[in-house]
Amino acid sequence: MSDQPLFSPRNPWFGISVGVTAAIAVLSAVAGLIWLPLAQPNLKLASVWDAICSAAGVPRAAVQEAAVKPDFKTSNVVMTSEMLTKVDQVSIGRGATLAQRCAICHGPQGVSDAHSPNLAGQFAAVTYKELNDFKTGARVSVVMSPFAAAMSDQDMKDVAAYYAYLPRVPSNNLDTGRAAPAVVVTGAPLRNIPPCGSCHGDIDNKAGSPWLGGQSAVYIKAQLEAFASGTRRNDISQQMRNIARQMTAEEIDQVAHYYEAQP
Amino acid sequence: MLTSKRLILAHFWLAFIVFGAALVLGAWQMFVRSPLNAWHFNPEFYYRSVTAHGSAMGYVFPTLIAMGFGYAITEASFEKALIGRRWAWTGFFLVAVGAVVAMIPVSLGLASVLYTFYPPMVGNPFYYIGVVMVVVGSWIWVALMVINFVIWKRENPGKPVPLAMYANVAGCLLWGWTAVGAALEILFLILPVALGFKSTIDAGLARVFFSWSLHAIVYFWLIPTYIAYYTIFPRAIGGRLYSDAMARISFILFVVVAMPIGVHHLFADPQVGAGFKFMHSVFTGLVALPTLLTVFTICASAEIASRLRGGRGAFGWIGALPWSNPIMLATALSLVMLGFGGAGGLINMSYQLDATVHNTQWITGHFHLIFGGAIVIMYFAIAYDLWPHLTDRALDSFGLMRTQLWLWFIGMIVTTFPWHYVGILGMPRRMAYYDYANPAISPQAFSVTMSAIGGFILLLSGLLFLLVLIRGQFGARGEAGAYRFAVPLHMPARIPVALNSFGLWLALMVGLTVVNYGFPIAQLMALNETSVPAVYVGAGR
Amino acid sequence: MATETDHSLGEAVAARIERRWATLSIVIVGVLVGMAAYIGIHQATMPQGRVETADPRTLHLSGEFIESNLGSELAADGSVIVRAIGQQYSFTPQCVVVPAETPITFRATSADVVHGFLIEGTNINTMLVPGYVTDLPVRFKAPGDHLMPCQEFCGIGHQGMWGKVKVVDKAAFRDMAAAKRRLTCVD
Repeated sequence: MSDQPLFSPRNPWFGISVGVTAAIAVLSAVAGLIWLPLAQPNLKLASVWDAICSAAGVPRAAVQEAAVKPDFKTSNVVMTSEMLTKVDQVSIGRGATLAQRCAICHGPQGVSDAHSPNLAGQFAAVTYKELNDFKTGARVSVVMSPFAAAMSDQDMKDVAAYYAYLPRVPSNNLDTGRAAPAVVVTGAPLRNIPPCGSCHGDIDNKAGSPWLGGQSAVYIKAQLEAFASGTRRNDISQQMRNIARQMTAEEIDQVAHYYEAQP
Repeated sequence: MLTSKRLILAHFWLAFIVFGAALVLGAWQMFVRSPLNAWHFNPEFYYRSVTAHGSAMGYVFPTLIAMGFGYAITEASFEKALIGRRWAWTGFFLVAVGAVVAMIPVSLGLASVLYTFYPPMVGNPFYYIGVVMVVVGSWIWVALMVINFVIWKRENPGKPVPLAMYANVAGCLLWGWTAVGAALEILFLILPVALGFKSTIDAGLARVFFSWSLHAIVYFWLIPTYIAYYTIFPRAIGGRLYSDAMARISFILFVVVAMPIGVHHLFADPQVGAGFKFMHSVFTGLVALPTLLTVFTICASAEIASRLRGGRGAFGWIGALPWSNPIMLATALSLVMLGFGGAGGLINMSYQLDATVHNTQWITGHFHLIFGGAIVIMYFAIAYDLWPHLTDRALDSFGLMRTQLWLWFIGMIVTTFPWHYVGILGMPRRMAYYDYANPAISPQAFSVTMSAIGGFILLLSGLLFLLVLIRGQFGARGEAGAYRFAVPLHMPARIPVALNSFGLWLALMVGLTVVNYGFPIAQLMALNETSVPAVYVGAGR
Repeated sequence: MATETDHSLGEAVAARIERRWATLSIVIVGVLVGMAAYIGIHQATMPQGRVETADPRTLHLSGEFIESNLGSELAADGSVIVRAIGQQYSFTPQCVVVPAETPITFRATSADVVHGFLIEGTNINTMLVPGYVTDLPVRFKAPGDHLMPCQEFCGIGHQGMWGKVKVVDKAAFRDMAAAKRRLTCVD
């Protein structure tokens, strides 16, 4: 028997193993691809061929039913992790010129004490997204909206690139010894509050989340309250409202003062 | 006769050093996420540690054990020197350097993506490059084992290949093919993105490729353990192997059906059709078969040994087994853990029951019990059995060995049983901490504390194990004699060519892969719109 | 000569016992697989029947996963459709409200990385893979509150990704649905 060629129909090992394997494969394919899907009434299959296709996983685009439209402007920015991460010197140069008109509030070096956000060293994607949202009306500000309305897409990218290029300057309230409040370090898991740093850059960065170190406490507090109350809604799919509305007034206060004291 | 002792010893030592380091991380993880710790810490450290623990325990440690043990089996069973020793060293250094290359970005927090990668999250490219180097190093081993096997067969026409070597080559072939899935995922999907050539990735396709490797890798980890069951255990307790042919069939079944079942990890995924999920579920059922056969053969072999020693009665023979022998003890404890773990596995394989436990702590408990418990305890036994032959020194701290094995068993039970339980309660896995103060979670606190205590018992056992090996390096010199494997009760003079070669089984393995994976992979590859933007991790600030 | 016969006799016995065990093993496996198929047919607990795609980049711009369309919808046939997305690190809606004893379809996808959710105290457990839509039929027996954690590692904030499910009385849900087309229990 051992002298018999292996790959020969006369070798029982060959015949039986191939036959059994093929039988199991065919039976499980028939059961999985035809019998089981047809036994499910909720799939509403048109034919056996439809059953096979759906069970084999042939994809289809989701059926578009009439969606409930929003009664407010939502952000139309498409955020990705790599957005505006490449340094472009020409863009920075153009941005420097354009940014002169921003200096009154945001400071000539992107830093000011006027409770308007410090932009020096801010992630370019963040500055770009907020300008865009001011322009489309997804975010509203008496001061910013008119500025943004006059800017082209490229203008916004240039200004964003320029501010990203400027070095972060420690604020006057710098206090690196300040203990981080619990809500910053660990968040509050069951209230759906992750650690701030998991998005805002101290640990990792989620695209579109700003660097918070050195920002005015007044500004941070105002934004968190606006997210919590729903007066600010340009965070895509409620990603920040979900967190802010779960925070207590005391936590908002702690976070604002903690980040103001950070570099 | 073992001639490449330094080579084999290098593999085992590096494996156990990696194991020791990863064990410390594991115990730390158990502690920080438990109620014993006031969780005021950076969660990133936890995920960094999980990535390191998983990569070390999943990719480096068992691979080195399989490689070192494979070389030992080749020389001992063929009774001649390994062909290609220089290549074997090359493989070893590739694995060692790959492990370091992978661990540098992980320890810097640049690749906290866990050892299962999770695209579209993408970490530092050197992490993936390091993992690929480990795999390529192991492929050198695969090639060497096949070459040695083929040459021996040519020199010994018609003679049965010794069971240990046959099983070893089965493990090699399984690994060689299984690793292809993850290799494709890394080389064609993840690395182009990590290196910046592309910025999108199909997460669904990546998960399908990974599932190709993810399940069969477990059987690659398992095969040294099964080789020890079949070829070391009966000899160590003074008995015979019940059946040589059934042993071969078990290993063949692993080669054929361990691979085309990986989609059972994706039962809850939306990108694979239900029909293919069912097919993989059926074959997952079949993979229980070799284990059922093995349990029978090993228990029967133990009974033979016992009756040879004068054991009597329907169950009385169990008491007559040489329980003071560490190999006996390790095998028995391993089988107990395999029994519990296997029962859990039967639950995971059914997609109705799987929904209850999918991605809960149950799963973590399950694979720690099977891999960390049933498999790793036999790695200890293999080391204990081989050490005198590798060092030419006596390894005689039997009391310490028994204590170590018992501690490992107890630690594993104390760790994994509560772990399974909180999984049923719905505790999700892979979280850095839980708010036990919340009334919805607080009932889980006690069980998690138990698990953490089990983790420390395991750490203690691991340290004892290393102590035994170190003492072995400085023991009294003594010739251990030739290294032998168990002899079957009835030695077949001739065996069917099917049980002495792999051609047919390789064909079935590849064929079933094509049947079960071909269509899902092809159609996802054809789908462009599901390539989604990568999310780079560790790129903050 | 006698030992030779004993030997082959022993071998035959050994082989017979082994064959019986192998047969039993095959039967065990067959029963387990058969059970899975049987339950699949008679309790309709099969995995998702169709593969559907959705672009995670533009979920918020158009289609069924725009912000104002997320939440629970009472369909004309009395069943309920829940639409949700997972993102780093929350589900939207953060709190899902559904009626008891009603057929419910969860339709969900991810806006960035792989997520998953399970609803504690139930057998509801599924994955969200960006690029694909998860469609899951479920049913809740009784009113009550459940936790809904993300069960797949999705980044450094994963441990903070816990949503909630509030199961309310059928009639109460119908009253709520009369006032608003997409319901959530977000406060």
